[in-house]
Amino acid sequence: MQRPRIPPQILRLLVLTIVIVTVYSIARYFLTPQSFGMYGWYRAVALDEIAARPTTYAGRKACDECHSEVVQRLAKYEHKSVSCESCHGVGQAHAENPDVAVAKLTYSHCVRCHEADPARPKWLKQVKSKEHYTGQRCTECHIPHQPNEVP
Amino acid sequence: MKTTLTRRRILRALSGAVAGLLSLAASRKAKAAVQKMLVASHTPKGYDPTKHKWLMALDVERCIGCGLCVEACKTENNVPLGPNYFRTWIERYVITKPEPGSGELRGEVVVDSPNGGMHGFPSSLVPKEQILKSFYVPKLCNLCEHSPCSQVCPVGATFDTPDGAVLVDPKYCIGCGFCIQACPYGCRFMNPITKTAEKCSLCYHRITRGLKPACVEVCPTEARVFGDLKNQAPDDPIQRFLGKNKAAQSLKAHLGTGPRVLYADLDKEVR
Ligand code: HEC
Ligand code: HEC
Ligand code: HEC
Ligand code: HEC
Repeated sequence: MQRPRIPPQILRLLVLTIVIVTVYSIARYFLTPQSFGMYGWYRAVALDEIAARPTTYAGRKACDECHSEVVQRLAKYEHKSVSCESCHGVGQAHAENPDVAVAKLTYSHCVRCHEADPARPKWLKQVKSKEHYTGQRCTECHIPHQPNEVP
Repeated sequence: MKTTLTRRRILRALSGAVAGLLSLAASRKAKAAVQKMLVASHTPKGYDPTKHKWLMALDVERCIGCGLCVEACKTENNVPLGPNYFRTWIERYVITKPEPGSGELRGEVVVDSPNGGMHGFPSSLVPKEQILKSFYVPKLCNLCEHSPCSQVCPVGATFDTPDGAVLVDPKYCIGCGFCIQACPYGCRFMNPITKTAEKCSLCYHRITRGLKPACVEVCPTEARVFGDLKNQAPDDPIQRFLGKNKAAQSLKAHLGTGPRVLYADLDKEVR
């Protein structure tokens, strides 16, 4: 008696499927990163790569190392919630090497926070720069690190 | 055809199995080599993402719209300067007084965000007398619990980390832009230089080093509050925020994306 034979076209299809699945499995095995699936459907080492990016803002604590006197003075007055780098700009490069100067401050940076605007909350002390002692720089009268001291 | 167990057959099968086992070890080595070619590995530092849960909260009443956060974000994260590329930005809401006799409680709502508020805001176009209420709202990634952006990513290049951030892996991102369309808050954009999707990373490189995100660092009024829900010190800013603002809301909560970023004193017009 003859066994039922598999038709050749089905056989070819079968072989092709097996080849494709095998090639796919091998490629998958080689290309899936080791850390894939550690926390979820992604490459866990990406977290370390992103965490390894350099910083440009040093943070208040870094300035404390060399300018602790300014930091302490600032903490006593109304600008205590303002970070050094809000006014002085990025400081990582300067904190690592003091020879790198921090950006020179322009007159306009006080106005950025203190210019009167109806959208600003009422608790913030605001001035109209066009009416408030025009022609003089803010720092001629106000001490930036001690704004409470009214001249 | 009959199958019989001859010595030759057994030997052949055995040697095949041994060769298979040997090639397994070799393939593991080959795999490591291939991986090394594809991605440079970084040594992990002493930071365990499963031990933290970061959160940002915003106090609308304290935001003065100075735009320092927007500027700091761009500087810190190398975000292109154009007006379309923001990881965080500030919107100014102006609600006008109602037309007299219209019976409404409020008039129009005008929202603007010139260059994301990066250089502060020019004085409002609406005259002061017509303004009923006006305020600034800082916007950023809402750190969704069920983030739609990471669900649509076809290559696993964007994902929710165990410590609460939603990050983009620029090496795997293919720039298809699905995630940008999926985000209901418009918090993503295509970086024109790297051609990959980009978004707020909560300054992941800063928080893993014990620093605050750049926007929080420069915020002069503590309108931005940042902390770790898993390691709360008693004077933790986020703890204080939650104690003070029991009714803090998140944006578009009805979409079911589980946004985690909290806003205190949020006006109902803010979307
Ligand atoms: C490693 C120590 C060190 C650290 C950290 C440091 N500085 Fe300095 N800084 C100096 C020194 C030294 C000078 C004096 C340089 C000079 O007078 O030419 C200086 C000068 C300055 C000046 C005055 C520049 C001028 O033109 O007169 C400013 C402003 C300043 N630092 C800001 C900062 C800020 C903001 C930080 C924190 C991000 C910081 N510094 C961190 C050492 C440091
Ligand atoms: C409100 C904005 C503001 C903040 C916040 C601020 N500074 Fe200044 N700082 C200034 C200005 C403006 C000057 C320039 C003073 C002048 O021209 O007389 C200055 C000058 C300085 C100088 C030069 C020497 C001096 O003492 O006058 C140093 C150093 C300095 N700042 C460090 C710091 C550090 C460190 C912090 C953070 C603790 C800080 N500043 C925070 C605005 C600020
Ligand atoms: C980054 C934002 C910011 C900048 C820049 C800034 N300030 Fe302030 N300033 C504040 C905040 C916040 C307060 C505290 C809230 C208040 O009292 O209005 C404040 C308070 C003040 C006060 C009120 C102090 C008091 O007696 O209560 C004065 C005066 C002042 N600042 C002057 C200045 C001057 C001058 C400059 C420029 C050197 C400046 N500020 C730059 C944010 C800023
Ligand atoms: C000629 C000196 C002088 C100059 C220049 C000056 N101020 Fe003043 N400022 C004062 C005096 C005096 C007061 C307190 C009395 C008052 O409110 O007028 C004051 C008060 C303030 C206050 C607090 C207002 C309040 O409601 O209590 C702020 C904020 C302020 N100034 C910011 C600035 C800024 C920003 C500049 C630069 C554009 C500036 N000042 C330039 C003298 C000056």
